[in-house]
Amino acid sequence: MHASRQLCTFHVADLYLGIDVLSVQEILRARELARIPLAPDTIEGLLNLRGQIVTAIDLRRRLGFPRRSADAESMFMIVRTVDGQVALVVDAVGDVLDSAADTFEPPPDTVPDAVRRLIGGVHKLPDRLLHVLDCEQATALAA
Amino acid sequence: MNADLQQQFVQDMLTESFEGLDRYDRAILALERNEADAETLNNIFRVVHTLKGTAGCLGFQHIQRVTHAGENLLDLLRAGERRVAPPIISALLRLSDALRALLQHLAAAGTDDAPLDTAPLIAELNRLGAEPAPESAAGSASLPSTEPVAPVEIASPAAPPPVDADAGWGLFDPAPAAEAPPVAAAGTPSAPPPAAKPGPAPSAPAPSAAALAATATVRVDVALLDRLMNLVGELVLSRNQLMQLASGRQVRPEAVAELSQRLNLVTTELQEGVMKTRMQPIGNVWSKFPRIVRDIARELGKEVELETVGATTELDRTIIEAIRDPLTHVIRNSIDHGVELPAVRVAAGKRPAGRIVMRAYHEGGQVNIEIGDDGAGINLARVRQKAVERNLLGPAELAALSDREALQLVFLPGFSTAEKITNVSGRGVGMDVVKTNIEKIGGSVDLQSAPGQGTALKIKIPLTLAIVPALIVRVGTERFAIPQVSLLELVRHESSGGRSACEYVYGAPVFRLRGQLLPLVFLDEQLRSRPAGAPPRVDLNIVVLQADQRSFGLVVDDVLDTEEIVVKPLGKHLKSLPMFAGATIMGDGKIALILDVFGLAQHARVLVDNSDRPRAATAAADAAAAGPRRQLLLFSLPGRERLALPLEQASRLEEIPADRIEHSGARELVQYRGRIMPLVRLDRHLSGEPPVPGSAEPLQVIVCQHGDRTVGLVVGRIRDIFEEAYELQPGSAAPGLLGSAIVQGRITDFVDAPAILRAAGFDAALAA
Amino acid sequence: MTKIVMTVDDAATMRKMVGFTLRGGGYDVLEACDGNDALAQLAQRRVDLVITDVNMPGMNGIDLVRHLRALPHLRTTPILLLTTESDAEAKNRARQAGATGWIVKPFVPGQLLAAVARVVQSPVAPVA
Repeated sequence: MHASRQLCTFHVADLYLGIDVLSVQEILRARELARIPLAPDTIEGLLNLRGQIVTAIDLRRRLGFPRRSADAESMFMIVRTVDGQVALVVDAVGDVLDSAADTFEPPPDTVPDAVRRLIGGVHKLPDRLLHVLDCEQATALAA
Repeated sequence: MNADLQQQFVQDMLTESFEGLDRYDRAILALERNEADAETLNNIFRVVHTLKGTAGCLGFQHIQRVTHAGENLLDLLRAGERRVAPPIISALLRLSDALRALLQHLAAAGTDDAPLDTAPLIAELNRLGAEPAPESAAGSASLPSTEPVAPVEIASPAAPPPVDADAGWGLFDPAPAAEAPPVAAAGTPSAPPPAAKPGPAPSAPAPSAAALAATATVRVDVALLDRLMNLVGELVLSRNQLMQLASGRQVRPEAVAELSQRLNLVTTELQEGVMKTRMQPIGNVWSKFPRIVRDIARELGKEVELETVGATTELDRTIIEAIRDPLTHVIRNSIDHGVELPAVRVAAGKRPAGRIVMRAYHEGGQVNIEIGDDGAGINLARVRQKAVERNLLGPAELAALSDREALQLVFLPGFSTAEKITNVSGRGVGMDVVKTNIEKIGGSVDLQSAPGQGTALKIKIPLTLAIVPALIVRVGTERFAIPQVSLLELVRHESSGGRSACEYVYGAPVFRLRGQLLPLVFLDEQLRSRPAGAPPRVDLNIVVLQADQRSFGLVVDDVLDTEEIVVKPLGKHLKSLPMFAGATIMGDGKIALILDVFGLAQHARVLVDNSDRPRAATAAADAAAAGPRRQLLLFSLPGRERLALPLEQASRLEEIPADRIEHSGARELVQYRGRIMPLVRLDRHLSGEPPVPGSAEPLQVIVCQHGDRTVGLVVGRIRDIFEEAYELQPGSAAPGLLGSAIVQGRITDFVDAPAILRAAGFDAALAA
Repeated sequence: MTKIVMTVDDAATMRKMVGFTLRGGGYDVLEACDGNDALAQLAQRRVDLVITDVNMPGMNGIDLVRHLRALPHLRTTPILLLTTESDAEAKNRARQAGATGWIVKPFVPGQLLAAVARVVQSPVAPVA
């Protein structure tokens, strides 16, 4: 298991998720992406991040949700992975929470498969579930 | 000495001298700080001494005169007969400037006859050598405009021109017995034979504009070169093995796999090795900074110490060239706007001299360069104020900016917080230019500042760069880059009469380019970005590309510029897309995808091999054929599978709806491109049978030119177009047929188009 | 037999120019970039002449002459110093160190070859 750590929380559709804050490099307001014809469905496009070209993955699609509407707000979370930086496109970003080991559990059966594949577990918070995103899985080559 | 060799020596001298002057400058500054020892003095002397000798031998008298004066002074200095003093330091620095100017003129113009008056400098150097330096303190800061001194200096031993009585050579008298054993030459007294002028040593005048600038060569570590040689050796071995495999009758797959792996490894290492030869230490850029810092600080009345760490950190040459100006600018800014005047610093409890630290190191596949000063930091209040003044932000947005974000405003174009514009760093701006230049080479810039404490700029640059020239094209609203290496030519076809130049052969779009048919690929279709219901193109912008030795035409909406782009690889998610080789950031910050020409061609199936074309048979036929390769049009008729026609006899291929046929007597005609074109049913002519009652099927028509007349040959199906050499067997000739040949490994009848047209009665006399 | 000359100078361009001139005169040329390099090369072999610069880092030309003269097989080898100094003092030092003669830089090829021809073809007194 893991010791207490801080999680950066965010929202994708009606899911509340968190990611180890040490994996997060920065958070940006969504901006223009270069579209990539013929790219896999989960790839939103390419981002110019201060001279680096970063691939943007749409977490909605990755988690099995339909695309967000064209006028919906979104945010970019730039995360560090073994292969370099990746931008995760999420609907909204929340606060940073301290996570305690004692509230960490495996995902319950109610979690859909598409989501289950990408999360390491959940934290049972008083009012809702916080799904902890497995960053490497989330940014792996989509099936 | 012939001109080429002369040029070579001049080039060597220039390289050597510029490097020497860099060392010289550093040493003079050390001398000024009283940090010079005897060895440093010797080194300074040697630089000038060497230049004098070399320049003299090559006949550059101006340089020789100037170095002669410097050398004398330096000789006195190193012998301890003159003490270091500010006027001497200044004169020695001016000497360096003058020599650089002369050398640069030499590099550009081929002679040292520069329009530079060095007489005052020479006089000053002589004067300083002729008498002990004055003890004056206050006056020393200003560079001397020396009052004319008594003519005694002109006559000093330092002054005479190089053509002096001592030129030449001489032998010593045999040494006294007590010392070294008798030396060979019986003594010729020291009086040398009359010296010829040293000038004529070069037989031809220095070639004009032939000497290259010192930076056109690189120095490469010998060990690296050895490694490269070894790798080349391995590559040759692998090539030989490959050739053996290729000529063998049986090829074991394991052998191929093994060889392929070896080749891969060697090539990768060779590539890395060659790229390494381009790596130069960043110290090459930094070497001039101590001087620059000293000069600017002096000019502004400030005191600045420069410390550098990591000068041996290596970068690719192109990066070094690209960061030279930005770094210079940042240093200038630091001194101009960062470091405070000594009095201000003391009042703030700091040392009077400001400190700038430049640090370079490798980390994580990138080069990090940090420039920090302990000056006043960036005045954020002023920055915010300026932002409002320039309407860059509204007051509400401004309030919402954190300090860190406010700092980034400095990078906006045209931003300046300089109280007054100095002629040192211009408007105090250019941080946007610094940022753009760094980002252009794939790097990033980060600025941090603490008020009263200082400012730090951190630059990160990727270690390896691939920069290629590329053609930028547009499809819809997107831009794409096409590496120029695959580009053959650009064709723009404006249609006349509203009809596109795009033809269809066997369902595939082609374009006729100088008699050859070029397969066309529509980029918007390949990318599936073509809007539904868009009207077919009429005018064509065709980029003719080459992949796997075949050419094809890529149709785009617009052809833009050619640019040098930095190739950035696509991440793992996109690497598998065959049509894209990478991405690049354009000048406006937007990303453009780089097309992989081979992948594109495969995707569009223009490289697809016709499956009923037996390769071996074709090769054999080629080998056996007497004639040259020609382009052939293959078609069929009812009852005849394979007929061929030299493509040059056909001008167009058309598909004509049956209901457009009109009749004039027994002839069939059709309106074609504003004219009336008669039709010839080839099957009828060959078989002599009457035409089959017309079906509703569209006609496949080969349009031929006959004299000044256009005729349409109606055939059954157009099958293929290819290039092959063949040998015609006339034995099977029949009316309308030239004979047959083996083509594509099969017997094919060759149609005699001119004969058919004549037989059909189409001669010049026939009225349209 | 072709005569062999060694030229010693820390300035590469000068070395090359001397070498070029000498080869043009029909001599074989060895190059050394400083005193130590020259001594290393000459430790086990003879040459017909050594031409050395005076001002070099590390060991200067005068000291090099002394070291060369201390090697038995080089005791009588002609040694010329390339120098721009023209005062008697420097020449004296060179002579006392055992140099054969001097050539003033900048040199004219003809002068260089003349000086070399002069010293190389002189009969050499056999070493006892």
